[in-house]
Amino acid sequence: MKILLLGMNHRTAPVEVRERFAVAESGPLLRKLIDRPEIEEAVLLSTCNRVEVVVMTNNLDAAQHALMEFFSRELAEGALPAGKALSQLTYLRHGREAIEHVFRVASAIDSMVVGEPQILGQVKDAYRDATEVGACGAVLSRLYQRAFATAKRVKNETGIAERPVSVARVAVDLAKQIFESLEEKSALLIGAGEMIEAALVALDDHGLGHRRIANRTAAHAEELARRFGGSAHGLDELDDLLLETDVVLSCVGGDQVVLTRERVEAALASRQRGRSRPLFLIDIGVPRNIDPAVHELDSAYLYDLDDLQGVAVANVEERRRESERAQRIVIEEREHFDGWLVALQAVPTIRDLRQRAEGIRQAEVERYAGRIGLDANQREALEKLTRGIVNKVMHAPISRLRDETDREMGLARLEEVRHLFALDDMTADAAEVDVETDSLRATAKRGVTKSGSDSDSDGDHAGDLETSS
Amino acid sequence: MIVFQHMAAALYLAAGVGAILGLVLPAPKVLHGARWGLALGALAQGAAFGTLHRLEAAPALTDLGQAIGIMGWLGVLFTLALLSRFRLSGFVPPLAFVGFLSAFGATLSSSNVSSRPLAPSADVFGSIPHAHVLLASAGIAALGIAALAGFFFLLEHRSLKTRRRVSGWLSLPLPSLETLDRVNRLTLILGFPLLTLGVLTGSLWLYSSSGLLFSGSLHEAWTIIAWMIYMGLVALRFGRHQGARQAAASAVAGFSFLVFAVVGVGLVT
Repeated sequence: MKILLLGMNHRTAPVEVRERFAVAESGPLLRKLIDRPEIEEAVLLSTCNRVEVVVMTNNLDAAQHALMEFFSRELAEGALPAGKALSQLTYLRHGREAIEHVFRVASAIDSMVVGEPQILGQVKDAYRDATEVGACGAVLSRLYQRAFATAKRVKNETGIAERPVSVARVAVDLAKQIFESLEEKSALLIGAGEMIEAALVALDDHGLGHRRIANRTAAHAEELARRFGGSAHGLDELDDLLLETDVVLSCVGGDQVVLTRERVEAALASRQRGRSRPLFLIDIGVPRNIDPAVHELDSAYLYDLDDLQGVAVANVEERRRESERAQRIVIEEREHFDGWLVALQAVPTIRDLRQRAEGIRQAEVERYAGRIGLDANQREALEKLTRGIVNKVMHAPISRLRDETDREMGLARLEEVRHLFALDDMTADAAEVDVETDSLRATAKRGVTKSGSDSDSDGDHAGDLETSS
Repeated sequence: MIVFQHMAAALYLAAGVGAILGLVLPAPKVLHGARWGLALGALAQGAAFGTLHRLEAAPALTDLGQAIGIMGWLGVLFTLALLSRFRLSGFVPPLAFVGFLSAFGATLSSSNVSSRPLAPSADVFGSIPHAHVLLASAGIAALGIAALAGFFFLLEHRSLKTRRRVSGWLSLPLPSLETLDRVNRLTLILGFPLLTLGVLTGSLWLYSSSGLLFSGSLHEAWTIIAWMIYMGLVALRFGRHQGARQAAASAVAGFSFLVFAVVGVGLVT
């Protein structure tokens, strides 16, 4: 029972490669994956920055091969980029590394923009799609439920998603530091180009009150005002407009400064009536449209493109620092999940151990009962006696096996137990016993079949999940 | 009464710690709980003052410990009123600690009642001295909140002007500049008349006891200077001559002077 992950992301492959592997609808592809005998469960995540397949398998090598084939044939449709092997563009993780990777992705620690909120929704969609086509069983369901819980912890316990990292969000965040509410504020947009249009779209999202658009060519301003709401003005009206404005956003062509310090100072002096009314100016024009000296005025806060980007970069750095705290949470959660997985894998070993002891007991009882010639009562007494001895002898090792499976050495211990008691070679055990009934042989064979060649394997044990953990 | 004061101190302390955790983590539910802690602390402290006149050996409100207790309690009440109108979560930790110190101080004062002259229980809320303490305390509490708003305004203003976030414990999320300025303005409007009434009742108290309106003591002289400074600040603020930053800085400076005049001079002399 192993978790295996194959993926490519913004670090391993450029966008022109990633877009070839992107998946619009994962359902049919997931069906193809789980139809393969080596793959028990699968989840496919496809976003603009990553394509990842997570599977649960009982045969690691075969599943790894199957995933490589799946990537090159089904996703890339046989057309890999020239001169690049798939292994150079992808990363492969299994076991604890895979679990940690899934948790990191869901928590947005592995994202291009650390802490971005979209990825969790995308992971949830991928999990839902896999569940809908029946590709997600008990193990991956548990894995993704824990991944969502981890993401929630990371969000609540760290500041990873707190500070904005896009220029537009930084500007809105700064505005909120200045104004109590943006809804009652009025914005003055100087210019009518693409940047101003984009800003108007952003303003719609944040509900900034009244908008005035001022431009050299009045017709362009009128066009924007008609499309986005607000009023159109010429640049010659700026002095009057400043008196009623709270947020100025400027992006107008030409070399000349549109708003000088003197102009803004005069406007601020006229609009202060006992109560201070701050003015937030954003200059995204290149060259700049607003005199940098405006920032020296007490009630004026001027940020140009570099300033906003500087804040965004500082916030990215802050998020990176927070991601170290987030990583600790991820490791903690990974340990919990790994413990659960190990405990899950103890179930077949414990069952085989019991079966082995019971087989020996039954065989020995049969042998001596046949030799001595016991009556029914004596036979019953012997059964009780031997069952009691077996139960008492097995109690301590089974209890410890259960308890110790939560530890890091759990898996190794399971291997040791299987080796010591020859649980993977039950037919050989049967040969050691002189007298063994046909039913016992059948039981032993069944045990071998269920255990499979891989000691960790048993897909049928998913139902034992909760009892073992 | 002491039980209520202890309860109030414990609740304020819990509210202060909770509010810091709520802001730092950030954990909105913890922050919400801290607000409730502050409100319950104020209730307990109110109950303590309510039971004051029932005590046989009641400490007078004019006792410094009790006066500071009332000042802190009124400050918390003003903050609770402001919290219902503005987003001022950043105010909860400092006010909770002020509340804690005031309740704790009042506890110490109450436990030493036998060593001081006692005020007749019937006079506790009815006398001019107590009116003076109540009015002056309310004024100082309101002006204290104005100073706190001013201090936070200066921090936020500096962070915006330097285009860097303030680091360390001061990086707690602060209210917007506009909110802080409004709180400063509101509390100045409320605090200055109360302080004026406090000064007037103080003079009346002096007149009734000595026949003088001004005895020339250091405490009186410094208080009158502080009041005059505030009068100047109010004139500047509402006479369109002062911007928000200057008003914030003035509120901090004015309050520092006032605290020195009311408490510091007494301690020094």
